[in-house]
Amino acid sequence: MIEVKNMTMKYPSGKGVFSLDFSVKKGEVMGYLGPNGAGKTTTIRALLGFMVPNEGICLIDGLDCFKDATRIQKSLGYIPGEISFFDDMNGDEFLKMLQDLRGIKDTTRQKELLDLFELDPSGKIKKFSKGMKQKLGIVSAFMHNPDVYILDEPTSGLDPIMQNRFIELILEEKKKGKTILMSSHIFEEVEKTCDNVIIIKEGRIVVKSDVHTLKSTQRNGYDFKVKNHVEAVELLKQKGFEAEEQLNNLIRVYVTGDTIDQFFKVLSQFTILEFHEINQTLEDVFMQYYGGEVKSR
Amino acid sequence: MSMRLFFKTLKRNYKLFIIFYAVLAMYLVMMASMFDPNDIDALMSMLELMPSELLNAMGFAGIVTNLVEYLASWLYGMLMVGFPLVYCIILGNRLVAKMVDDGSFSFLLSTPLSRTKIIITQGVYALVSVFALFTLVFATGVGVCAMMLPGSLDVHAFFLLNLTTMLLNMAVIMITFFFSCLFSDAKYSVGLGSGVTIMFLLMNMLGGASADARILKDLSIYGLYDPLELVRGQSMLWINLFFIGMIVVLFAAGILIFRKKQLTI
Repeated sequence: MIEVKNMTMKYPSGKGVFSLDFSVKKGEVMGYLGPNGAGKTTTIRALLGFMVPNEGICLIDGLDCFKDATRIQKSLGYIPGEISFFDDMNGDEFLKMLQDLRGIKDTTRQKELLDLFELDPSGKIKKFSKGMKQKLGIVSAFMHNPDVYILDEPTSGLDPIMQNRFIELILEEKKKGKTILMSSHIFEEVEKTCDNVIIIKEGRIVVKSDVHTLKSTQRNGYDFKVKNHVEAVELLKQKGFEAEEQLNNLIRVYVTGDTIDQFFKVLSQFTILEFHEINQTLEDVFMQYYGGEVKSR
Repeated sequence: MSMRLFFKTLKRNYKLFIIFYAVLAMYLVMMASMFDPNDIDALMSMLELMPSELLNAMGFAGIVTNLVEYLASWLYGMLMVGFPLVYCIILGNRLVAKMVDDGSFSFLLSTPLSRTKIIITQGVYALVSVFALFTLVFATGVGVCAMMLPGSLDVHAFFLLNLTTMLLNMAVIMITFFFSCLFSDAKYSVGLGSGVTIMFLLMNMLGGASADARILKDLSIYGLYDPLELVRGQSMLWINLFFIGMIVVLFAAGILIFRKKQLTI
């Protein structure tokens, strides 16, 4: 459905994307990941026909993304990474404008989506909160029931409840056989929705993998306090764990999937005072994947 | 050309239109009310008190003998080009570059409208709105004069005056529209769109003020004709054709550039 063949697109600054090659099959949800400035939005610009690649080609449903942009747009839903509306308009006016320009009269789907995200679109868009603007962007991308979705960080600014609603929406669309390319920084979202992921870095693809494989390489980090922490660190290091002492006698350990049992067995020999899991962002996973410094929060 | 988009564009820009029409109509009424056919000599003697360079720069040139000459000299020399110029600068930028700059243009492209269709529609709106502005100004002028000074306006000459002024302003809005298509950054679109057109207006004023600087006036699109000569019967055929040519070339160039443009939206 979506095909990117040997695509290179350079900006005058030397940044850009280089020799990208990937495809998203019909009914597949592809996560498109990478740190800020990696070239995610640039790829999306080419897919939307906003820019012409310097080399290579990208196709959606067999149509050239630049030359046939008009035909592609009929069944394409797009959420921009940085949404900017016509600020002088009311939200409902804006949705009506898009409907009119798309030549669609039926507003059933639009109403369903507005209910799903609990959005009241009346009122000036200028006065909308970040979350409301994002919801309006989601509704405008989904309301004409397209076959292909290109979503650039679709849940940024949404609260956790709404992020979950969005995940449900994606799963529902996936069931209908829609093709979805989605960039995201939220691991949970990618994990729950995507079949496969691509990670790009500095404009080049560094990983193409299915989500399960990627997940098994993920290290989990734990912070804990035990009585006798010096001994604990020593023992963990002996058993081959990466253990570091933090402030206040806190110990931090990174554990990969299959060694978790061993880790708890070691830990069970001590009196545990405190135990937390460190939340890892997808970017942490990404950094770890390439042997870079892992930053935890 | 998409009628649907045309009406959306109209809806977003009609307020700007009304403001400028209201200003122009107000000046028309004010100027007409100041005209006294029996006291035209008094007006002329008052003018003689002012420095002639200033008057020439403002386009208030020559001795006027009737209402249409008075309007041509006092209104169409400066105000009827100066105010519409501001309108052209604001609208030209709003129609394309502003939306590309802030990214909202992506929503227009997310509909089944091609770039070419969008740009043609926006350009047609620019031309139609200038057409409507001068049609209304013409009608208002005829109406106001009929009420306040019945029988004193040479309607035919007034029509020709508005026709050429309209074409001039269409050429001006196509300059700003062209830059709006060319630049993705509203800063440059406004900068060059207003820079070039205001420079033309200043060249016209400077060229009018001093005989030594006459060349500046000749090089400016505002200096191509003298409104007073126009109403006195000078043929405007070539000048009108020149403006039409400018409109066509700039519009076509804007479309061609925008079709191929890399949009970072």
